[in-house]
Amino acid sequence: MTEWIVFAFLILGAVFNLMGLLGVLIFPDPYTRLQASSTCSTTSVMSVFIAAMIDSGISAVTGKILVITLFFFISSPVSAHIIALYAWKNEIIPWRRKGGQE
Amino acid sequence: MNTQAAFSVIIYLFIGSGVISLYRVLSGPTAADRLIGLNIISAQILAVLVLFAAMENMHVYLDVALVYDIFGFVGILAIARYTGKKEALK
Amino acid sequence: MNLAVKWKITRIMLTSVYLFAGWMLFTGSLNPFSMVMGLFFSILTALLTYSLFIDEKEAERRGLVFNIHILVFYLLFLLFKMYASSFAVLYNVIRGNINPRVVHFRTRLKSDIARVILTNSITLTPGTITLSLDDDHLIVHWLEAKTTHSRYAGELIKGKMEKILKRIFV
Repeated sequence: MTEWIVFAFLILGAVFNLMGLLGVLIFPDPYTRLQASSTCSTTSVMSVFIAAMIDSGISAVTGKILVITLFFFISSPVSAHIIALYAWKNEIIPWRRKGGQE
Repeated sequence: MNTQAAFSVIIYLFIGSGVISLYRVLSGPTAADRLIGLNIISAQILAVLVLFAAMENMHVYLDVALVYDIFGFVGILAIARYTGKKEALK
Repeated sequence: MNLAVKWKITRIMLTSVYLFAGWMLFTGSLNPFSMVMGLFFSILTALLTYSLFIDEKEAERRGLVFNIHILVFYLLFLLFKMYASSFAVLYNVIRGNINPRVVHFRTRLKSDIARVILTNSITLTPGTITLSLDDDHLIVHWLEAKTTHSRYAGELIKGKMEKILKRIFV
């Protein structure tokens, strides 16, 4: 039974990873690429961590992965915010859809 | 099909996508694009390290993963700080 | 002994307790030598960096302990919201139909740490990224903008997160 939960989370991680990668490659400007990369690098990595925790059961490995997960929960949005602030302070103009509703 | 085989498949997928996202680092129009590429590669390598530790049941890789996470974060902060405008990121 | 010195000693002790807990979590051994070394180095680090860990103005707050059970509930809520909005971003990536906008709004939270946690939560959920936080004024980049009106955009983005955070940091 636990095997199937592990497989489900791994597949979820793989799908989010591929979609985030596609978004990073095709989106038009740094801010939208950053949105796609945040999907890829938080949700996908978090799914993989959950799969690894369920797979190794209750052991020392699980505790350490939990610590890494908590640290990642803090460090990933901060680094995304650093990149966004860098782009904003260097006056990169955000892309807007042509003919969008005002 | 056991979980070990699934883990190794996912490891190869993450390494492959890391190589593909190197394209964004090499050909980003602005410096922010290159930073995004580096950030995404760092997250994928972190996932690979944790998956490898869970697959082989070894603790050593987890310590490496934690230190790698900290250094990736500090590296992005340093690059953003020293290549931007002087008053940015005060 | 006046109040400032007492508060300084409390800060040093709290910081060293946090650092020692981290040391125990990572070494994971009950060997006396390693525990003594951990205690020594956590007190040394606390003496050097206590003013960075706990700010001097924190003494004005009512208590150093906040509602832990609501915080755990908040983390689970955040995880759920992360997955839910990930699917929305995935749909947008597949369609290639995006409408990004920059919106400005204000937050009603008072304490600094609550504002930082709100900012981090907004960045963590895919689809919104905080560009700048200045006092109580947030600038947010929104991938699929439904409105640019300040108050409605704030309600849609902050939503329940601000209400729960208000109950954690009283």
